[in-house]
Amino acid sequence: MLAFLARRMVMAIGTVLAAVVISFLLVHATDTSPGAVRLGTNATPERIVAENEALGWNRPLPTQFFDYLGDLVRGDLGTSLIDGRSIAADLADRVPVTASIALFATLLSGVLGIVLGVTAAVRGGRLARLITTGSGVALSLPVFWVGILLVYVLALQLGWLPATGYVPFTVDPAGWFTSLLIPVITLTIGGAAIVARTANAGLRQALAQEHVRTLRAMGTPEWRIRYVHALRFASLPVVSVLGIQFIALFGGSVIIENLFALPGLGQAGQAAAASSDFPALVGVVVVATLVVVVINLLLDLVVAALDPKVRAA
Amino acid sequence: MSVLPLDAADDVAAEPGSPARRQGLSEVLRRPGGLLAAGWLLFVVVASLTAPWWRPYGVAEQDLANRLALPSAEHWLGTDPLGRDLLSRIFTAGTEPLLSSAVTVLVAFGIGLPLALIAAERGPRVERVISRVTEVFLALPSTILLLAVIGVIGVRTFIIMAVLGVLISAAVYRVMLGVAQSVRTRLYVDAARVNGLGSLRVNVVHVLPSMATVIAVQAAQLYGIGLLIVAGLAFLGFGPAEPDPSWGFMIQDASSYVFNAPWLMVPTGLVLALTVIAANELADAIAGKAAGEAAPARRRRRSPALTAPLDGAAELAPADPDAVLEVRDLTIAVDDGADLVTGVSFALRPGRVLGLVGESGCGKTMTARSLLGLLPDGVSVRGGAIHWRGQDLVGRTEKELTAVRGREIALISQEPMVALDPMFSVAYQLTQPIRRFRGVGRGEARRIAAELLRNVGIVDAERVLRSYPHQLSGGMAQRVCIALALTGEPQLLIADEPTTALDVTVQAEILTLLRALVRDTGLSVVVVSHDLGVVADICDDVAVMYAGTVVESGTAAAVLDAPEHPYTQALLAANPHVPDGVPVPVRLASIPGTVPPPGSWPAGCRFATRCQFAQDQCRSPFPARPAHATGSVFCVRADELADAHVSWDADPVGAAHAPATTPTAGASR
Ligand code: SF4
Repeated sequence: MLAFLARRMVMAIGTVLAAVVISFLLVHATDTSPGAVRLGTNATPERIVAENEALGWNRPLPTQFFDYLGDLVRGDLGTSLIDGRSIAADLADRVPVTASIALFATLLSGVLGIVLGVTAAVRGGRLARLITTGSGVALSLPVFWVGILLVYVLALQLGWLPATGYVPFTVDPAGWFTSLLIPVITLTIGGAAIVARTANAGLRQALAQEHVRTLRAMGTPEWRIRYVHALRFASLPVVSVLGIQFIALFGGSVIIENLFALPGLGQAGQAAAASSDFPALVGVVVVATLVVVVINLLLDLVVAALDPKVRAA
Repeated sequence: MSVLPLDAADDVAAEPGSPARRQGLSEVLRRPGGLLAAGWLLFVVVASLTAPWWRPYGVAEQDLANRLALPSAEHWLGTDPLGRDLLSRIFTAGTEPLLSSAVTVLVAFGIGLPLALIAAERGPRVERVISRVTEVFLALPSTILLLAVIGVIGVRTFIIMAVLGVLISAAVYRVMLGVAQSVRTRLYVDAARVNGLGSLRVNVVHVLPSMATVIAVQAAQLYGIGLLIVAGLAFLGFGPAEPDPSWGFMIQDASSYVFNAPWLMVPTGLVLALTVIAANELADAIAGKAAGEAAPARRRRRSPALTAPLDGAAELAPADPDAVLEVRDLTIAVDDGADLVTGVSFALRPGRVLGLVGESGCGKTMTARSLLGLLPDGVSVRGGAIHWRGQDLVGRTEKELTAVRGREIALISQEPMVALDPMFSVAYQLTQPIRRFRGVGRGEARRIAAELLRNVGIVDAERVLRSYPHQLSGGMAQRVCIALALTGEPQLLIADEPTTALDVTVQAEILTLLRALVRDTGLSVVVVSHDLGVVADICDDVAVMYAGTVVESGTAAAVLDAPEHPYTQALLAANPHVPDGVPVPVRLASIPGTVPPPGSWPAGCRFATRCQFAQDQCRSPFPARPAHATGSVFCVRADELADAHVSWDADPVGAAHAPATTPTAGASR
């Protein structure tokens, strides 16, 4: 168990390092330079050179890299080339937005998906076919398209929810909640579909296990076989798909944040990419990776709690 | 799907009426969804690639009088805010996502697949290194990294999608590694290597074809994901620049007009959604073909009402008044399909052990399972009776059978390592039925559980109680399974190949344990085995089964000492050390030929295709005759062979040797 966790910790640190290295190399492989980005298109070549010198861009790559790592450990991600703000401070405001969308959407996908998947596996027949087909369609729909459809129906036609925009929790908790609802529902449609498929397949597989036959042969009541034994068996794939789901939602939130004008991490990434704001780009990649890594570690703990084989390892 | 090497009959049952496989593409297309999906994909690709030649308007051609128009004769799909024709723009825009998503798929498989093949071939050390690296890749937030790439190199869709392919190759590797490893074990690829084939050829000739289905499924799914990502990037503005059209940006555009022109988002969104749905549906169709369609979920099934066998059963009923279990003329069949077991009859008295023996595929496991009403889906009892303590178990509802299972009849399965639930401790798995069967509290149940474990010869019962199944050895797990079977204090134990999966020394221990249990508790036992050593060791009675029917039965001593049926003789000849009572695996291969599969049994004697003594008279129906005092033998020539003192020749020198016995036979005719 401890060895397992230690191994996962090492993996986590390796992942963050890899993210830093990759984004760092990426930024340095470009033919533009931060000086050019900062000064805009009207700058003379001499001024750009001077600016790059001032930014330390021309120092040896390893020096820059280790400086960056040192700053990173201290929580300093540098300043934006565009507006000169502290990237760390900016992202610290943004992570909660993205995280709450991803978290709500994951939880809702989990509940809805498990109910649908279990229903399909247990009931079978036409209902199961309906759920399988429906989830196949749902996970194929582009989120931005679904989002617009929902805005059209829920906000414009029915007027139940605000169309776009974000209300900070500290300003108005109820407003905060309703401002997140359409984005969360949008993400849940695809997410619940994936969870439903996994739960359905997992439960069917569980019910086909030899130990289920033992339970049947012992006259175990059917509800206990399904909801205690088979569900527990199917919980492993479902939990890992929920983790993957959260990571995908967290990383993929850029589209939903753009669509609903939510000030999250993805929006920062999009802005940084559009303006070639290199330090901000690296910062977004690093922060997103950190979140993913933490989620993965939490996931490992959940799996260890669920699976006696992992616990004993 | 079960991973266990069950009887051949079980295999047939697992895929009732399974369509002929390996028909490839035509099979995928026969499924309506698959056909539609393939058709739509083909249409979109062709229409997009040829759009410059057929589109009614140029992509930048503005019809300012007809802005935001609904579909009309001039503009089939309507127009955008600048009066540009949607139909022309949608299909012109299709080329880039359709091609660049293919780039992602090619790159992802181009990297992931060879890595998986290498890892599967080079063994654990190489595999571990590659797997660690890919795990890191998998944990990177790929969408955000793509943004970083765009920030650095600008909007170059094909390169960006190739980068995405690199990131996704880690996931492809993951899936493919598992498949490649299982293919290699299944295909005995190492044998092919020994035969001098190079590693590349082995992979190309042997491994890859077996992976084709999984590759196709994954590739189709990935293609759909790729489409969504290209469109998503274009939606964010990272796509072709205006006035060049892109699906994503057209939807972005529509989103700002959703209030006054909601139609605008319909055509583009539908084309994109349908294309992704088609890719996923194609994947499902391919996967569905491979799995022989998803098996129906298990439903509560009631054996079909039986009417016919009653008269026959009535006349045979009082065969053995002392019997606790009496099976009469049992027929088990695939629903609307072939018979798997026919006309099986046997009786079991209290405290006795009956062996059902035969090669795999003879129906012995099916017969044993039917006693508990635990036949696989799609298989059911079609006729006959199973009299258990005065009631007929055939035709009982699932609920009535549940009351019998565990409490009166219990099962010990052939794979102890998978018979216990891996997610629960031994203590939980034992105390739970103890509380249900005996109505005791938690503490008392635990005490009984420990006692049961000691009764089956487990010394440190407390430690085993705390263990999880994966921490037990095979022999230990089988002892726990036996203890579990005893929790309901049943009168009948069904032991399905109880020792097959165990080491030879452990086999002997388990058999000793079973014998002691019978002696001490007065249990009756039905043992299913292909091993005559096991039968000789613990059985009082024996029923030899071949191709779904009992060919010879009687007391174990009589049948094993003086077998009358050529098949029994052949089994014994293949296993000459039986009388010592030492379990020795039967070398069944020494009986030439194979058991005919269900549905192709010859009329008359089903052993006729392999029997040394087969003659014309064997091939027309004949009745069994009584033998061994309490049993029977189902061979038309049994008397004749016995009188002539002829028995099975274990090593016939080809077929030429067999006719040597016929002169005697001819003389007696
Ligand atoms: S009936 Fe004929 S074929 Fe069958 S076992 Fe007897 S001799 Fe052989």
